[in-house]
Formats: sequence, structure tokens, C-alpha cells
Amino acid sequence: MKDGLLITLSMIALTSMCDTVNQLFLKSAIDSLGFPLKANIAGIFNFIFRLLAKPRVWLSFVFSVVSLCIWLLVLGRADLNFAFSADSMHYIFIAFASRFILKEKFTGLRWLGTGLIVAGIVFISLN
Amino acid sequence: MPAKKVTLKILLLLIISDILETAIHFFFKKGALSEAALHVGDLSAAAIFLKGVFLSPFLWAGLFIVALVFVIWTTVLSKIDLSVAVPIASFSYIMVPLVSMFFLDEKISALRWIGILLILSGVILVSLSSKERLCRDK
Repeated sequence: MKDGLLITLSMIALTSMCDTVNQLFLKSAIDSLGFPLKANIAGIFNFIFRLLAKPRVWLSFVFSVVSLCIWLLVLGRADLNFAFSADSMHYIFIAFASRFILKEKFTGLRWLGTGLIVAGIVFISLN
Repeated sequence: MPAKKVTLKILLLLIISDILETAIHFFFKKGALSEAALHVGDLSAAAIFLKGVFLSPFLWAGLFIVALVFVIWTTVLSKIDLSVAVPIASFSYIMVPLVSMFFLDEKISALRWIGILLILSGVILVSLSSKERLCRDK
């Protein structure tokens, strides 16, 4: 049984990492477009149309699908509460990737807030 | 680069995408449950399992919402930092228990209230951190 738990945890880590990579590609593609999105329907579709021309977005889709497949396998074998609580590591991956790969500026406040959210998710899933 | 402040509009978009995200989880779990009897032991069993899941109408309902969320999420990410958008999106962890309390008459345990408060304060701090940055940049 312990063995199964380890496999489930590794799968959750893997799906979190894939989703982080997916978000990184998407965000960097959006940033590289370098023009503001106009907040009306035509503007949004124009923006997404240009975005879809970026190969990076398709890479992000691939990672998103892989992440989804692994997540479905996790849901098939694990309790939803447990899966969600372990998936809170996702927020840690995103924070570090944003800070060190996208070079977003972090204040103490942002680290603290992210930490609180991770702690909160673990608490919620403890039931 | 556009201003990176979390405005009310962005917050609303994030909440909508959160609600949709909850629906996705619901549909995906439904899709996975219909195949749950199957034991996933090796790779070929996993392939059969996934094939079954992909034939489930619940999964396709979920995927339709995924496309919708992609549009909203792209809009949000074009306005604010990834490290702000993702934590704020954790709002669904708060909404699901609250919705179950008000509409399904479920009880929320003390432990869960602590978790909700922790997430809420975390979301507020992360949102504030992007405003703080805007002020400094000016």
C-alpha cells in the first residue's frame, strides 16, 4: 500500500510540474506578443488568434494534455481530498518558476501569501 | 507593458474561471469514476482506462469548459503576473466548501475553517503584493 502511495505522490508531482511548464509557455507566449489585449469580444479573439500562431502555445497545450492525462489517472486511484492536498505543491512550483524563469519580481508579501495558501489547502484537505 | 494591478474586473474574471474550473473537476471526476472499477496497474491498463475516460460524455463537457477557461485565463495573464494569477485562482478552494455549506447544508469543520481563513489571507496578501509593486514602479 505504501508503494502505491509513493506512486500516486510521484504522479501528482509530475502532473503539477507539467502544468507549471504549460503555464510558463502560455505566459511567456502572451508576454512575447507585446501588445495589449482589448477588452471586447473582437479584441479577445484577435489576441487569441495571434497567440495561436506562436509555437510555444502549442507546446503549452501538449503539456496541458499530458498533465490532464496523469491527473485523470490520479483521480482514478486516489481520494479527491488527498489528491487536492498533494496538488498544493503546484503553487510552490509556480512561485519558483515565475520568480526564476519568468523573472517576476517577488516581494516578501507575495512569498508569504503563497505560503499561506499552500498551508490553507493542506488544512482543508486534512478532513 | 500594461499595468499589473489586480483590478475588480480581473478579480471577477478569475472568480468566473474558478467556478468553471470547479465544474471541470466535477466533470473529470465523474468521467474517471465511471471507469474507476478498473485497476490501473501497468501501462496497457492505463491506456485502456484513458480510452474509457475519453469516451465519457462528462469528459467532453469538461473539455468544452476547458476551452472557455483558456480564453478567460489568456485575458487574465495578459494583464497580471503569473505568480499573482495562479494564487488568486486558489479561490475555488474557498468557494467549494462555502457553496456546499449554503446550498447543500453541509457542515464545515473547525479545521476546514482554519484552512479557508489561511487561503483567504494568502490571496489578499498576494493581490496586495501586485499593487505594492505598481506603486514602486511609478
